[in-house]
Amino acid sequence: MSEDEIRQLAQTVWETTLGIPLTPQDTPSFASGTRMVVACVQITGAWGGAVFLHVPEPAARAAAAGMFQCEQRSVRVQDMQEAVAELGNMVAGNIKALLPEPSCLSLPTVVEGGDFSSRIPGSRLVHRVVLSADGQDIAVTVVESVRHSGAASNSGVKAA
Amino acid sequence: MSATQAPSTAIAKVIVPFTHAVRQVFFKMAKVQTTVGTPHLKNQTASTYSICGIIGFSGNVTGSVVLSFSEEAGDNLVEAFAGERHERSSADFADAIGELANMVAGCAKQQMGAGTNISLPSVVIGEKYTVAAQSMPCVVIPVTSPMGSFSVEVSIKETPAQA
Repeated sequence: MSEDEIRQLAQTVWETTLGIPLTPQDTPSFASGTRMVVACVQITGAWGGAVFLHVPEPAARAAAAGMFQCEQRSVRVQDMQEAVAELGNMVAGNIKALLPEPSCLSLPTVVEGGDFSSRIPGSRLVHRVVLSADGQDIAVTVVESVRHSGAASNSGVKAA
Repeated sequence: MSATQAPSTAIAKVIVPFTHAVRQVFFKMAKVQTTVGTPHLKNQTASTYSICGIIGFSGNVTGSVVLSFSEEAGDNLVEAFAGERHERSSADFADAIGELANMVAGCAKQQMGAGTNISLPSVVIGEKYTVAAQSMPCVVIPVTSPMGSFSVEVSIKETPAQA
């Protein structure tokens, strides 16, 4: 699994599901205080770890509007959570196909807010890919379980 | 039955392992007696408290469980568990919250039979955030202790058998 592969998978998911192209970025530019919607999908089995999808609220709103075919102004928080959960699930499902079998995906956990940090104790950062959707950066982070080494990685989600 | 009261039979099946696990884990690991309150269905989107340890379940059951601690309970229970006080922003604090969530889920898992898997814990710390329930009812088990209040939010269901 390489960063290029993750980038391409995310681009394909956004393009096919929402019709929105993603362009690669070097580093995320999440403005301080931006509300974020973050999906976490865990992978267990032959490979252990997790995939985080970090989406700022404007991009989550656009994704929900595209996914549920509605106006952005009528999108509710639950719609954004469902949309980002579904996108996270699709990205993680594609990443899982690159990993040793057999592995299982958990249901996505979605956190939404403006002032929180998230981490998975007992994991290390494997890849972090940043892409831009209509000027809004999104990030895909892959962490791997290192239960026995004691290392831990912050998912990079610091929403404020 | 009121709108927020948990239905008895089906949900009790998934609640009981967690009430046992909470009592056992916190007594053994933090030397604290906990009192489990009446479970109720969650009817708000916000997390109950500001410090959350989240564990995913797969296999025989699907879903997630959130241990949600007040700041007071988080600080005190981490200190009792780890043997020293840690800043909430530190990795050690998150590790301890994750480990407590992992132990509770692991203990409950033992009572659910073989074929149930739990994920790594994820830890979320902050304010005014929501942890989304996954299109299934979320039952909140309120817990009080001399070290503060916390809750266990259970959103799991049995996985249908595959043909």
